[in-house]
Amino acid sequence: MSVFKRIPTYWLFQFFGWGLCMLVNVFYAYTFDKFNSKFLYGILVYMALGIMLSHIMRLVINKANMLTKPIEQQIFGFIFITVVFSLVTGMLETFLWNYLTWLREASPAASKKQVNYSKLVIGNSFNSFFYMFIWNCIYYIYHYVQKSRRQQVDTLKLETLVKELELKTIKSHINPHFIFNALNSIRALIDENPLRARGAITELSNILRSSMQSDKLETVPFERELNIVKDYLALEYIRFEDRLKIEYDIDEDTLDQPVPPMMLQTLVENAIKHGISKQLSGGTVKIISDFRYNHHELVVQNTGHLTGSYNADGFGLTSTQNRLQLLFGEKANFTIKEINGNTVEAKVVLPVAAVA
Amino acid sequence: MIRAIIIDDERLARNELRKLLIDFPEIEVVAEGANANEGLEKIETINPDLVFLDIQMPGKTGFDMLAELDKAPHVIFTTAYDEYALKAFEVNALDYLLKPVEPRRLADAIQKLHIQEEKEQSANSEVNINREMLHEDDQVFVKDGERCWFVKLNEIRLFESVGNYAKVFFGPNKPLILKSLNALEERLDEKTFFRANRKHIVNLRLIDKIEPYFNGGLLLEMKGGEKIEVSRRQTVKFKEMMSL
Repeated sequence: MSVFKRIPTYWLFQFFGWGLCMLVNVFYAYTFDKFNSKFLYGILVYMALGIMLSHIMRLVINKANMLTKPIEQQIFGFIFITVVFSLVTGMLETFLWNYLTWLREASPAASKKQVNYSKLVIGNSFNSFFYMFIWNCIYYIYHYVQKSRRQQVDTLKLETLVKELELKTIKSHINPHFIFNALNSIRALIDENPLRARGAITELSNILRSSMQSDKLETVPFERELNIVKDYLALEYIRFEDRLKIEYDIDEDTLDQPVPPMMLQTLVENAIKHGISKQLSGGTVKIISDFRYNHHELVVQNTGHLTGSYNADGFGLTSTQNRLQLLFGEKANFTIKEINGNTVEAKVVLPVAAVA
Repeated sequence: MIRAIIIDDERLARNELRKLLIDFPEIEVVAEGANANEGLEKIETINPDLVFLDIQMPGKTGFDMLAELDKAPHVIFTTAYDEYALKAFEVNALDYLLKPVEPRRLADAIQKLHIQEEKEQSANSEVNINREMLHEDDQVFVKDGERCWFVKLNEIRLFESVGNYAKVFFGPNKPLILKSLNALEERLDEKTFFRANRKHIVNLRLIDKIEPYFNGGLLLEMKGGEKIEVSRRQTVKFKEMMSL
């Protein structure tokens, strides 16, 4: 097997093909009782010639980039090359055979023998055409199959790439609804409270910047993520005003812990979108970060109910789960459940990292 | 003067729209609502000419709110970015503004409204003032899953009772609305809409063929191809109405 592996497929095909051709010829000669040393000699010469010329033919095909041409040109080139090479083979075969015969026999009688060269050349060419045609057919079909297989692989590769990109956009996904609502609020604030409007623009640009940068990093210090969430909630507060209450319960030691960027942000956004914005009288969003059972726990609680649509909408939730799985494997997990009857709690458990 | 109501759950968004509307002196903002329930109440008491309506609101969406009204006012939707709503807009060519609202787009929307109002005024100058009854030029808002329509009553061929719902037939569509046939019958103009039997109300102007049927009843074929049987009792009434 290892020997075959080192020989290029092309040469395997060459020897196997011409070898088979030779065997068939020998077989026929044997059955019709024409087999003798002269025949064997001739067939060996012919095979050597065949291999050599078909190899040259391949060089020509490659040099002319025949396989990449449009189909009409390919067919035309295919026929043209086959005809030209069978003529060349026929000619060479005839002259070589005569030359060899003359050498071997070296008798004046043989040299004097009248030979109709043109007839012989045409006959031999005709024979060669048959072989060259089959050779070319195999060559073209082989490459055609290879090409279509390669195309299949390329399509698959492209599909995975698209999925990967999708994941990336999910990662940096900020709800456009939020952005435009925030801009609308800011425009109203410009007259009402210019100072707050200026602050809001800073907050919004912080969020946009970090969402653009987030796909370059695997993890960020929790403090950085928390600042984004604070900016985000400050903006949502402009929109919801008294309907949104915000509470933080942060263990300061967790601030250095690495967390996946925009993950807490996604959960808080969900809490607003599915929780607070659905409540007529609004509600509370509470963010908790603490060490518990040797793990770093990130919790987002919001007023509301865990409804079917929440799960079906799982855009943020599935991507959260997938990201945790990719980054930490079994060491992290994500749960979402309803507690105390009117609160939804999303909890991310992360492994504790030793931070210098 | 056009009397308008703004319904949006964000105070700042309402303020912003009010501010933009200062440039249109013909529009007077007479009330505001912070959610769908407040909106329903204001629309029913004030009966405005125009409603600026946000889609995403706590409790009920703007679409849900409209579907509850017997008669839909002129509506200009306002939304920040909502793929679901945008799709509904594009399918049905409803008028909408994207927040933050571009003043030029607002002007276009109001211009379109003027043209529509003029058309309606010339069309029904002799309109009965009875606001309780629905006139055939009045429109209803119909929502069915992802799709929604404003439908003029004179485009509706048929109402069919399906439990507590009524199926509304217009064009190629037949969505369900949460209204009983009896409630509908009370509000519909009996000169145009006729109760053919227990399950159907038909639009008399959209009947294609009338044929006699068993037991002295009638079979109506509507313009959309639906075949509706007229009960024996109603046949008498039907003949009375049609025979001057």
